[in-house]
Amino acid sequence: MPGIDECLLEAMALPGALGASLVDWTSGLALGTAGDSPVGDHETTAAETAELARSAAEFDSFTTAADGPGAGPPVEDLIITTRAGYHVLRFVETSFDSSVFLHLWLDRDSGNLALARLRLRDLAERLVLG
Amino acid sequence: MSRAAVSPMLVRLAAEKATGALLRDHGTLYLVDGRVVHAESPAAPGVDVLLTTGGRLPREGWDEAVDRAGAHRAVGRFLVDSGRLHDGELEICHLGAVFDAAFFALSPTSGPTRFRYGVGHWFGTVRPVSAEAVERETVRRRELLDAVWPYAAVDTAPVVPRPASPGQTVGARQRVLLAAADGERTPAELARLLGRPAFHTLLDVRRLAAAGLVETPLAPEPAPPPQAFLPALPVADPDIALLRRLRDALEAHL
Repeated sequence: MPGIDECLLEAMALPGALGASLVDWTSGLALGTAGDSPVGDHETTAAETAELARSAAEFDSFTTAADGPGAGPPVEDLIITTRAGYHVLRFVETSFDSSVFLHLWLDRDSGNLALARLRLRDLAERLVLG
Repeated sequence: MSRAAVSPMLVRLAAEKATGALLRDHGTLYLVDGRVVHAESPAAPGVDVLLTTGGRLPREGWDEAVDRAGAHRAVGRFLVDSGRLHDGELEICHLGAVFDAAFFALSPTSGPTRFRYGVGHWFGTVRPVSAEAVERETVRRRELLDAVWPYAAVDTAPVVPRPASPGQTVGARQRVLLAAADGERTPAELARLLGRPAFHTLLDVRRLAAAGLVETPLAPEPAPPPQAFLPALPVADPDIALLRRLRDALEAHL
């Protein structure tokens, strides 16, 4: 039954993990951080990734009725690939009103995107379901 | 960019690793060893509202936790240990509530700031945050609000929805907010009703106002400029100078 820090440490144990954080996408607040930020400042990264997550969570094209009803946004994760790395943003669904996601930053050469995506899904569930 | 401290007293208390309650006009911050462990403000819904409104926790479950663990200052811990809540949920919810209340507690005020040494909060410690992080986040939030829509009047006025332009869309969370805005409820009242942090609601209202989907009330009439004073004349004593001239003039006619 992990808390925020245990969850981030587990994410950092993934191959190629460079940085991890739990971010609130309404406000841009980092609730917890581990490892590094691509810009050397977790708070800046949190504010920037929050804008991205908010767009995905709120734009109609990603939240159509076809995805069915649910508590949180139907978007599950966002994947950004850059020349040097991967970023996976995984939405965390809570049964009270919240707007948080996990952000994992991976090294492109040593990271495994498919594995990271699966593990992050698992971590996002265990973070709130125990 | 240099930023003035939000609360010089908070900076000092953090440096001396103080434990107690920092009381300000709009809320209270609780410190343990100089770190912020809890905050509350009448403007921000508490953890109980956040957890019970959405149905995550029945009100009785909350009340029982307060009854059984409040005296030991361990309500948060009890919620987890008794299986009512998971660690991650407690931390996410409580941290959100702490930064939310701190934002209002640290809002600019002319009132007094007092510190009561040794006073703790019955909720107990969940995840302490450095006072510096709380201050920095509070400043960031103020700047964020103004960057979105620099009209603070929408923060406290009743939220009055406006019709969307053709083709204009609104996100799901903001749709819920608009649906609850009956033209009378303020952002703080909407936050409580929806079980959302108050700052998040302010931010959504400012975003909606910027998109033209919520009325922006006219700013109150600007205060009249301070009375302009005439520059003082460089006369040591004008009355005596005047009297002398009058006397001279009268003598000339004698």
